[in-house]
Amino acid sequence: MIARKKILTDEMVAKIEALAPRYPNRRALTLPALHVVYAELRHVPLEAVVEIAEVLGLAPAEVQDTLSFYQFFPQEKPCGKVRAFVCRSVSCALRGGDELLERLCHANGIDPYGTTPDGELTIEPAECLGACDFAPCILANDDLLANMTPEAAQAELKKPRARAT
Amino acid sequence: MPPFKPVLLEAVGVPDGHTLASYVARGGYAPVAKALAEKQPADVIEMVKSSGLRGRGGAGFSTGLKWTFLPKDHPGPIYLCVNADESEPGTFNNRILMEDDPHQVIEGIILSSYATRASTAYIYLRYEYPRSWQRLQAAIDEAYAAGWLGKNIKGSGFSLDVYLHRGAAAYICGEETGLIESLEGKRAWPRIKPPFPAIEGLFRKPTVVNNVETMACVAQIARRGVDWFKSIGVPADPNNPRDPGSYGPKLYCLSGHVEKPGCYEAPLGITARQLIEEHGGGVWKGRRAKAVIPGGISMGLMTESELDTPLDFAGPGKVGCLGLGTAAVVVIDDQTSIVDFLHNSCRFFAHESCGQCTPCREGTSWSLRMLERIKAGKGRLKDLDILHEIGNTMGMMPGSTICGLADGAAWPIKNAIKKFRGEFEDYIKRTNPSGWMVTEPVPALQIVGAH
Amino acid sequence: MPVIIVDGKEIEIGADERLNCIEAARRAGAEIPHYCWHPGLTVVASCRMCLIETGSRDAATGKVTMVPKLVPACQTPAKDGTVIVTESQLVKESRARVEEALLIDHPIDCPICDKAGECLLQDYHFEHGQPERRADLHPFTSRKREMGSTVTLFVDRCVMCTRCVRFTREISGSSELMVINRGAKEEIDVFPGFPLENKLSGNVVDLCPVGALGDKDFLYQQRVWFLKREPNVCGGCAAGCSIHTEHNQDTVYRLKPRENPHVNKWWMCDDGRYGWHHLHDPSRLVEARRAAGGRVRRGHAEFDTIEWSDVGRRLRDDLGAAGRLAVAVSPMLTLEEAWMLCAVARSIDPQAFLAVGHVPVDGTDETYPGGFTIRAEKCPNRRGVEGVIALFGAVDAAGGVPGWDALLDHVRGGNADAAWITAAYPRGWIDEDAAESFASLSCLVVQDLFESPLSRMATWKLPAAGFAERAGTWVNAAHRAQVFQQAIRPPAGVWPEGRLSWSMLGRRGLYDAEAVRRQIAESSPAFAALAGDVPSTGIDLRIQQLASK
Repeated sequence: MIARKKILTDEMVAKIEALAPRYPNRRALTLPALHVVYAELRHVPLEAVVEIAEVLGLAPAEVQDTLSFYQFFPQEKPCGKVRAFVCRSVSCALRGGDELLERLCHANGIDPYGTTPDGELTIEPAECLGACDFAPCILANDDLLANMTPEAAQAELKKPRARAT
Repeated sequence: MPPFKPVLLEAVGVPDGHTLASYVARGGYAPVAKALAEKQPADVIEMVKSSGLRGRGGAGFSTGLKWTFLPKDHPGPIYLCVNADESEPGTFNNRILMEDDPHQVIEGIILSSYATRASTAYIYLRYEYPRSWQRLQAAIDEAYAAGWLGKNIKGSGFSLDVYLHRGAAAYICGEETGLIESLEGKRAWPRIKPPFPAIEGLFRKPTVVNNVETMACVAQIARRGVDWFKSIGVPADPNNPRDPGSYGPKLYCLSGHVEKPGCYEAPLGITARQLIEEHGGGVWKGRRAKAVIPGGISMGLMTESELDTPLDFAGPGKVGCLGLGTAAVVVIDDQTSIVDFLHNSCRFFAHESCGQCTPCREGTSWSLRMLERIKAGKGRLKDLDILHEIGNTMGMMPGSTICGLADGAAWPIKNAIKKFRGEFEDYIKRTNPSGWMVTEPVPALQIVGAH
Repeated sequence: MPVIIVDGKEIEIGADERLNCIEAARRAGAEIPHYCWHPGLTVVASCRMCLIETGSRDAATGKVTMVPKLVPACQTPAKDGTVIVTESQLVKESRARVEEALLIDHPIDCPICDKAGECLLQDYHFEHGQPERRADLHPFTSRKREMGSTVTLFVDRCVMCTRCVRFTREISGSSELMVINRGAKEEIDVFPGFPLENKLSGNVVDLCPVGALGDKDFLYQQRVWFLKREPNVCGGCAAGCSIHTEHNQDTVYRLKPRENPHVNKWWMCDDGRYGWHHLHDPSRLVEARRAAGGRVRRGHAEFDTIEWSDVGRRLRDDLGAAGRLAVAVSPMLTLEEAWMLCAVARSIDPQAFLAVGHVPVDGTDETYPGGFTIRAEKCPNRRGVEGVIALFGAVDAAGGVPGWDALLDHVRGGNADAAWITAAYPRGWIDEDAAESFASLSCLVVQDLFESPLSRMATWKLPAAGFAERAGTWVNAAHRAQVFQQAIRPPAGVWPEGRLSWSMLGRRGLYDAEAVRRQIAESSPAFAALAGDVPSTGIDLRIQQLASK
């Protein structure tokens, strides 16, 4: 039995363990485990990394090595209830992606990668979201916001959004 | 030629086209049932090999040939990794396939797994595709329920499990060994080769990595036959023994400054101009194209005068581009600064370089810094020479890196500077009248925009 | 035999040898620069400094076909007909560009960097770099980060070769080190609260090709170009790791592992690495002292300092007068010192009881995933001393050599009137109870590094040598004999064990370990292999003995 965790709930551990039969070793559970924790907590604090490492039988440095590579999982504090990735790659940039990002940050009083003080919204630049047919676009939680103008985007980002995954 | 009718995209616009029922109604899963009942794995390999199918992920390697590199009579396990980490800027064809016709992809996976004797297939799906995740997971669940996946599929004795594995926003996971490392729970640093994945891949076992569109093509070849597939596209160049031809339909992603961006299916070999004019409704706002990316940003740039180049596997190379890549065509109009374009490209690759090989890690970062400085009006003509040198020396082709990311970073640099040098020089001289001729090192700018 | 062509020069390699192009080129005298490759670690081929041109020569036609691009020498096997080109224009330009790239974000703080003088970045830049900087200039940062109790990371100096990370994953198995972030933002780090703490930690500093990882024990103690290095053997445990003792003016500054495929490969443990400080401990015994009255006493005796030139004679007189002699031959001594000690003892008392001195043991052997073993037996030469004592016929009924416990029993049983205890242990080794066993003797000689309960009751209190101050041969736990020279001189005035015995045997001149070694080899089949020159990696005495039978 694994000792009781402080950050990881029994449910999270169960979710991770449920995926274990898919892989021949536990190290392969690293990304799935990080996604499980991130989905629940909206970040993966250092304490959670230690606990994930314990569940997977790895050193914390091995999990952190992987985690930090992706630059996807926030660690210091949870991201906003809506995490908005504003695409800045070429197809979106050609149609105003950089300006969209800048205007949205300005409108919400935050820098890129910042979260509004009320914890509602995080805005991050993203590399190609794979929706170049809808440029410029934003991925807000699970929703693709297509052909955005700054005004339309600001209105969209104020809406509450489910996050299924 | 009769008018081309989309095949890979046949479900697009069909109500509930993503469901099992729709797919079966369109003739889906009958081919795999037939193959499992009547064909040996070697027959399926032979079918795919003789179709001339070349991988749709970017490198264009023969799919059937790749499968034959697996060791014979291996006790297993053998793994199939389906590369759904589509991250090449401008590219979204996999997304459309996964969202609109996931069963076509799954049927291709079953056929490919049967051919390669893989008993587990992992679909490595990029994080940015939540809708694909939902559609694929639903389709996998349907396929299990209908007995198309799982133990002893339709009494054939063949068993297959398919799992979705989610990435976390790193472009390098699209490189096949980067994908494997990532799947194994490590940082996605591409592996040195040999050993190639076919010999020692995922979990150190024989592994095939194929793109989503390749899987869809396998399904269509099984359904419509090798002759159908070979009737589409560009035959091998008889004067070039190394050209195996470019057969079959291809999904072209069209974006940027066109009237109607979208994913269009066309025979391999359509020209960029045809694609833009006939499918994309022309360059937007009645403008002219200044440059066009032929197959994702890694492939470099074609000029307006090069737009009649056929977009087959051999075409873009003839005008100095890296290749067909993902066949993602991005149009840049004549009012766009090429400096801005190259800055965008360099920012992308500096952000996505995995950091393993010195030339790429430092070269992508250095080129971004130079572009930042040029954009800020502190450029020097010397920077263009240094950029060009980086572009010529960084990558797998000159041998200075492990994987091809650096080649992809290099090509836009060297194409842009070679084909648009005048514009760069004008920009630099205009924005830095007192410093454009300096050759000594200058103070670095505080870098912004890349994290 | 496979033939490799290096820069036009043909060399032969062994038929079963698996060499990469770096190793093959080295055989031909061509050094291919490299950062990330290390023979003891997995190949990653990521630094790209070792790029070369390569090809193959057709055995039948002699036609050479070159690979149309650069390849990493570390990753390319050298096979029959492999053509290696290490100095072409393409190769030179590639090296210059890698050097340039590595310096873009490097602080170039060589004047304050402890690695200066032995830094590959410096050396390669000098040899392969381009003369002027082209990258933009930016302010100097030199961030420091503690990795653990032994190692400091100078973050900005790192070239991301990842040798240190691979070491903790592959050799120590402790996985404390990691790479964080991606691309040009990458850094080496430890996880907060999980520092680099393992018994092999110091090796990451040796592995670091640049000034990124600093050894706290050595940091800012000495500029490396003042150091002299002497091939030596670690005395910390019975593994007998091959080392270099690096010193200046009789002061040791650091120990470094010396490559020995038969013993320690490229590694050494921290106990050994940092186990030299006792050499310079001011509380060391440095004078030959004799208790006033010359009798064993409890408590605080008055001691007289005896001139070294008188020590041998007076010692011989005291021991001879006392009667039956028992001698503990310390497993810290070299073969040669042990042999001379036994010879001296038997010249005083032909029946002298000879036993192996105290063998310190700490825990159990510890083997690491990479195969490195730290021995529980904390002395370097038990097997050698046993062999020497056996040569003097001191073998018990079971064919074994008496040990320390047997000696204690011997003395407690009233079978001895005098004892000569050699020790030379870096740490405390004997308690009051054991020392009490010697209380009734009429003469007790103790030769040690430090005061102990035993030395406090000695008739003669003699200083011993530390490991780096000795010369001779040690035989490790795997019966491998390694020969080494004295690295530093003992503290002023001290006659180490070898010199004293040499003089007591009436030999002229300075103690000559080699002469003694040859004498031992001639007199014994067990040590016959030591008659000639011994390779720097030593000789396996068991194999040699079997071969000679």
